[in-house]
Amino acid sequence: MSTVVASAAVARRQQRLGRGARAGRVGMWVVLLGALLLSVAPGLYMLCLSFMDNPQLFAGRLVPWPPHPENYPRAWVASNIGRLYWNSIYVSTASMVATVALSAMAGYGLGRIRFAGRGVVYGIVLIGLTIPLQIALIPLFMNLRTLGLLNTRLALIGPYTGFGLAFGTFIMKGFFEGLPRELEEAARLDGAGEFRIFARVMLPLTRPALATVAIFLFLQNWNEFLFALTFITEGRMRTLPTGIYALLSSEFYGNYPILAASLVLFSVPVLVLYFVFQQQFVEGITAGALKH
Amino acid sequence: MLSIAARRSWRRHAAGYAFVGPALVVLAAFLVYPIGYSVWLSFHEWDGYTPRWGPFVGLENYRALAGDEVFWRATLNSVVFVAVRTPLEVGLGFLLALLLNRRLVARSLLRTLFFVPVVMSLIVVTIIFQRVFEPNTGLLNTFLRAVGLGAFTHPWLGDPATALPAVIAVSVWKNVGFSLVILLAGLQSLPQDVVEAARVDGANAWQLTLRVITPLMRPILALTALLSIIGGLKVFDLVFIMTRGGPTYSTEVLATMLYREAFELNHMGIASAVAVILVALVLSIARVQTFVLDESRAGGKA
Repeated sequence: MSTVVASAAVARRQQRLGRGARAGRVGMWVVLLGALLLSVAPGLYMLCLSFMDNPQLFAGRLVPWPPHPENYPRAWVASNIGRLYWNSIYVSTASMVATVALSAMAGYGLGRIRFAGRGVVYGIVLIGLTIPLQIALIPLFMNLRTLGLLNTRLALIGPYTGFGLAFGTFIMKGFFEGLPRELEEAARLDGAGEFRIFARVMLPLTRPALATVAIFLFLQNWNEFLFALTFITEGRMRTLPTGIYALLSSEFYGNYPILAASLVLFSVPVLVLYFVFQQQFVEGITAGALKH
Repeated sequence: MLSIAARRSWRRHAAGYAFVGPALVVLAAFLVYPIGYSVWLSFHEWDGYTPRWGPFVGLENYRALAGDEVFWRATLNSVVFVAVRTPLEVGLGFLLALLLNRRLVARSLLRTLFFVPVVMSLIVVTIIFQRVFEPNTGLLNTFLRAVGLGAFTHPWLGDPATALPAVIAVSVWKNVGFSLVILLAGLQSLPQDVVEAARVDGANAWQLTLRVITPLMRPILALTALLSIIGGLKVFDLVFIMTRGGPTYSTEVLATMLYREAFELNHMGIASAVAVILVALVLSIARVQTFVLDESRAGGKA
């Protein structure tokens, strides 16, 4: 008897829960799809604008019909975007390679060798991780000017390497620390020197961390604006962000569709990189945040 | 004459410096030295053109800032920016992370797409949103008119009263995905046995979230908030491109003020003083961050 009552109560409760769960499920999807719409709408809006002409734009249309794909070749020429691409690829890649090499070494040193002053070096790395790069803006500008390096690619490669290094070293140190001791000892018994152990034994094991650092820093350099704005004032050496920014004050300001097409051309490589390497990218962010 | 042990330890120190050395040189050149130089400049009056760094003026630049209305406006705006943006960013990020932390169709696709704004360049984001907020044919006002709310159309970025909220909204839009990713990783690292035990004890989804998961997540929530605060204090591109600090300084923040003082007004000393204040603010917040982390680590061990 009592078991029957109890099971009826349980059934009723489950039914109520079921209804609640269904309402919860609907609410959840409303929130998720709303957030999805908000996340992608501005990008899609830009894409639509890039296929319009000015009359369509000023009519407040959303659907670019008939489409104007000729905006793209015009944007390519107008913003000299080929040049901007080349500069951005050059600067982002060069500083990424330099940062990865330096931070792999520094990460190994900090993570696996107990040397005097290690704490101080790591302290500098931690400060570099949080400090706003604005602090270096004026000093770097003055020094680059003195050295005659303003408006050269080096004016960006140096600072990008310097400011990426803290992040790279931090990640690499964490990764090296986690590697097993035995490998290193085996190599040491075989008579390998410290550098050989690093380059031949340990470094190949850190490939995932290297990929994370590389992708993360490449995107960061690709998007960097403040240094690029300040250290490069001539059109020839501009990178994409400041090149696009310069368009705002040029004759194309009135022609929004051309501008939108330039923005799309600028964003495509970033988005492709992100979709291909999102695992590394997400890891870079969570590692930087959670594994102090 | 060195013993074998001493020689070995000497070798170890040398090897350490050989590995760290190159990075240390770069860090010194681009980080340590500029910090020192900025502090030094903040005690001088300099237009940036005369050789050297002009006359020493002691704390005069800081005193001038203390009496400067624009500086206080920029500081207030920076604080408001952070105070509004951080709760929204972390709150919305946590909500989405909780929703994504269950078996769900298209879960990884959703996470991927929520993160797209974070990857997009700020210059692109800013130019799009300038267009969205454009008073006549912009997306927002067009939408308001279309749904019969034409009375609410507004020159969002042109009005000092709405410019800062509009900039903050864009900042939240851009960064929610960042909080989401960290918080989701945090949720997935929670001790599953505790959550499972609560579920077996009959806790429903609400109780589970409020009584079990949220307390466990507190350190990670605090950390995400601190990262958002630090990011908010550093904000430059967004404000600079979107409004240039205007109209009438209504969106001026410390970073844009620094840039204007240095490269438009040639007040290198004042600008350096702003930079030093900004860094002091950020590092004191980061100090709090290490406390939170130590605490969470201690809690995790207990």
